[in-house]
Amino acid sequence: MDMDDLLQLSEIERDALREVANIGAGHAATALSQMTGRTIMIDVPEVNIRHLEEVAEMLGPPDTVVAGILMHMMGDLTGRTMVVLPESSARSLCDILLGRQNDSTVSFSEMELSSLKETGNILSSAYLNALSDFMGMMLVPSVPSLVLDFAGAVLTSTYLSFGQERDVVFCVDTAFRVEGEVESLQGEFLLLPDVPSLQAILGAIAVE
Amino acid sequence: MTGREHIVGLAELQVARGAGRLITLGLGSCVAIVLYDETTRTGGLAHVLLPSKIMSRIRDAPGRYPETAVPVLLDAMADLGAGRGQIKARLIGGASMFASLSPAGVLPMGERNVVASREALATAGIDIVAERVGSDFGRSVSVDLATGKVEVSSVRHGVEYC
Repeated sequence: MDMDDLLQLSEIERDALREVANIGAGHAATALSQMTGRTIMIDVPEVNIRHLEEVAEMLGPPDTVVAGILMHMMGDLTGRTMVVLPESSARSLCDILLGRQNDSTVSFSEMELSSLKETGNILSSAYLNALSDFMGMMLVPSVPSLVLDFAGAVLTSTYLSFGQERDVVFCVDTAFRVEGEVESLQGEFLLLPDVPSLQAILGAIAVE
Repeated sequence: MTGREHIVGLAELQVARGAGRLITLGLGSCVAIVLYDETTRTGGLAHVLLPSKIMSRIRDAPGRYPETAVPVLLDAMADLGAGRGQIKARLIGGASMFASLSPAGVLPMGERNVVASREALATAGIDIVAERVGSDFGRSVSVDLATGKVEVSSVRHGVEYC
């Protein structure tokens, strides 16, 4: 599979990838729900196939500040997973995880950063475990890496630093949010398989 | 009248003269090549993605690579009246955002972009007067065309000038 195949993924293949992401994100949302004691809703996953030039805007204006927790995916598939939270949601999550009043997290010190990183680790691991079971594959997560930075820098650096695709890039993006609570807590689960692994995913779920 | 803001997107380049600003947002491993001629107050900015065009199939986007961006910027600045001998360069960006996930022994993409940008400027005979490159955080850049002053902002360090 190369760039041209990527641009010509059929609707059936896109549906299959959405289904895979839905299973992963569903499990990650359950984990987040258990960690926070809140009901977490997920949206229908979006299959994004874009020119690299366009990814800077994918998570919002490129100078929006986000927390991104990135892990490599290894084993039968290669690629990455990322949990992305807008800065305000990262603060809300810290409030909840650290048992604080709403709006009391004002800065990100070691304690907050460590909580966010561990949460990203747990959510991505839940996502990958669900994919492993569903596809009958062995998937191993790497250690997580957390950044709190401009959205444009986070996503373009992810694509440019890892993997071989520099022209057209791929990800499945599932948005999540807390349902009916006072906190604004939302974010996205991203699955970023390397392009050769996309073929393996489609093969594993018998979409040829 | 402070002039308009020219937003330079990923892999784009722009030149302008007089009042206003050249701005690019959210540089991670990418590098902003900023050129400025103070005698004519002409500036140019390219937001380059990759150290070499051989890493991509896209050939018709000079702003993607230092080797193509620098000559195009210089020609466009000359068209606006800039004198080649007066043009100075600044480099911003080239970070390694997820350094702990990078494979050992491989030069990170940000660093490769910085090296390639320096080479492209050396080939063109343009001196670099300031750099804010490397480390592990993103940067945004705003060039004041009236003064040549370059504002570099980051989540980590706020606003700095170079």
